[in-house]
Amino acid sequence: MSLALLLAALPVLYWERPPDTAAALRAAGIERVRVPPGRARAWTTAGLEAVPLQDAEKSDRVALKPPGLAGRADAGSATRRPWLDANGWRFLRAPKARYFETAARDGAALAAAEAFAYGADLVLAIDPADLPALGEALRFLRSVPPLDLPDLADIGVVDDGSGAAGEVMNLLARRNLLFRPVARSASDPPLLVELGTPAYPQAEAANPDAFALKLRAQLGDERRTLRLYGSEVVLARLVGDASRLRLHLLNYSGRSIQGLRVRLRGLWTPGDVQLLPQGKAAVEAAVAQDGTTEFSLPALGPYAVVDLTAAR
Amino acid sequence: MERREFLELLATTPLASAVRLEAADPEWPGPRYRVVTRYAAAAVPGMPGPFPGRVVRTHSQRLPEKASAAPDPLLVREMMERGMRSLTGETTTLAAWRRFFEPQDVVAIKVNAGGHPYCVSSPVIVAEICRQLIAVGLKPPQIVVYERFFGQLADANYAPHLPEGVQIQAAERGNRAPEERSYDPLTYVEAEFFGEEDTRSNMMRLVSERVTKIVNVPNMKDHGATGVTGCLKNLAYGSFSNVARTHSQGVSHTLTAVGTFAAVEPLRSRAVLQIMDGLRAVWHGGPFAPTQKFLFFPRQIVIGTDPVAIDRLLLDVIDDKRKAEGVISIWDRSPSHLKPNDTIARDSDPNVNILIREPRHVEYAGRLGLGEWDLAKIKVEEIEV
Repeated sequence: MSLALLLAALPVLYWERPPDTAAALRAAGIERVRVPPGRARAWTTAGLEAVPLQDAEKSDRVALKPPGLAGRADAGSATRRPWLDANGWRFLRAPKARYFETAARDGAALAAAEAFAYGADLVLAIDPADLPALGEALRFLRSVPPLDLPDLADIGVVDDGSGAAGEVMNLLARRNLLFRPVARSASDPPLLVELGTPAYPQAEAANPDAFALKLRAQLGDERRTLRLYGSEVVLARLVGDASRLRLHLLNYSGRSIQGLRVRLRGLWTPGDVQLLPQGKAAVEAAVAQDGTTEFSLPALGPYAVVDLTAAR
Repeated sequence: MERREFLELLATTPLASAVRLEAADPEWPGPRYRVVTRYAAAAVPGMPGPFPGRVVRTHSQRLPEKASAAPDPLLVREMMERGMRSLTGETTTLAAWRRFFEPQDVVAIKVNAGGHPYCVSSPVIVAEICRQLIAVGLKPPQIVVYERFFGQLADANYAPHLPEGVQIQAAERGNRAPEERSYDPLTYVEAEFFGEEDTRSNMMRLVSERVTKIVNVPNMKDHGATGVTGCLKNLAYGSFSNVARTHSQGVSHTLTAVGTFAAVEPLRSRAVLQIMDGLRAVWHGGPFAPTQKFLFFPRQIVIGTDPVAIDRLLLDVIDDKRKAEGVISIWDRSPSHLKPNDTIARDSDPNVNILIREPRHVEYAGRLGLGEWDLAKIKVEEIEV
């Protein structure tokens, strides 16, 4: 991916405050913004690269829920698993769509990292108090070397565009069951799911969590390309080919997570982990056995990325 | 990490040597367990240790029967000294402790602090254990009092009772707190109980990487998932991460989980002494004890090396008390008494279960070789002090 493409893949701040806040933006390291119509010239005069966000474009963009750990006191749950609002499945489902999101307070870094991890075109509004955190996140994301690799998946979901198919993808993503939307004729990945077929009746998708569990059982945990241990609030995106992998890890909890354990199928040599905001660190307790590679992360903030190369 | 460095790591990590798969047994329903450890068993594992099927129970009428009253440290000392001498057959208390510990050991004392404020491992007993270990030749920093949760240890507040320099250590702040670095990533039990994604429970690094011996100091308590929480439950669930996932929605997989966790090396080999605190006990609502409502006073200390034998006796202690109170047995499996997740009903009515208890977890641990389950084969020595 070229530098220009990388910059294009970075989320862009939508900033409604007046141009006299330019110093605060620059202090945060933010040089590019989308602004309300009619203010672009003033912002350019203030020295920033400003592109107006017309009302039509704003309403055309797919509105996203801010990512994070959701309180669901109103909803009964059959499990103790935390409920996450996460957008990765939407980005996978519609990679060319354009998105708009207003991040939750203290959630700007996660929102930016989530969009970056999936290469999504996102315009991001934030709480002004999160400006330093967003600036730090964008600076970090710019430092991640570009690497354009396809998604790895264990499950192919034939996407009929329905809400039911979307909810299945959402629940697969929440379990780190790697999937990608595929055409009906796809022969890869190993498990192909099409709602409305005898194997996967529409009625089963009415309970997407149970449906995801069924797919997990059909796949078998041992065959899964990726497993995470030590937290159920971290979601991953894995891209790669036969010689390289890139693992994106997004922590939706709002708290640092220590010692997250990663298991990958295959023998891979992990490079340093790049942690937002700490920077580079060595992975810990890396081992390989039975055709799998495992390692731990020292401390995971909102986002981390690990590049790996084939061990043989 | 450099490629050469990583390949060297692949060559030297003996992780694969100790993977054990537990096949599902229809008599003992439960998940399939995968146990991974790089530790071999000791020649004589701590459990059941040198005295399988032997239990010494010291009792005293002079112990208090009031929650507000502290036990007399000298009386507790006498009970423990006589119990240890009786268990080992040694003529002096020092010789009895030296049967288990050497001056170079690093000894962990596994307390139970979850029953704060009314039923935790007595600080008087813990202090006496420290005193005896120091007499053996350990320095205070070689002694570590441990529990899984910081908050529980802070509430129990052992420090003022212990010799200066004794360490107090916990692994995490709460059942689901993300603090995996206190746990050993290479020593774990993997199993899926209720469709959870995080299917591993890892042993505390303190246990696997630091200490050489463990003294287990459980209480006598009812437990909503296991029937009782005694030696096995205190040690197993108090030394591994992510264990609350074994029981949910009225169903308890503790039947096989407790023994499986307790049997993982090096926990099994290092837990060389069981000292059950029966000064006071909980007959319902356990493992917690937020009120005195379900408190009672067996006024005893039970000593041995066989956790199964001690817990087998504990089942009767708790169940006999429940019978005396006229409430359902810990063996009751009737759906009519089951109100899953309704802790308010459970706490107000001893005839309500929130889970089907699994007291046979003790028997299962016996099948794994951790001790003697058969009451007819358990020899109990009673000492009145």
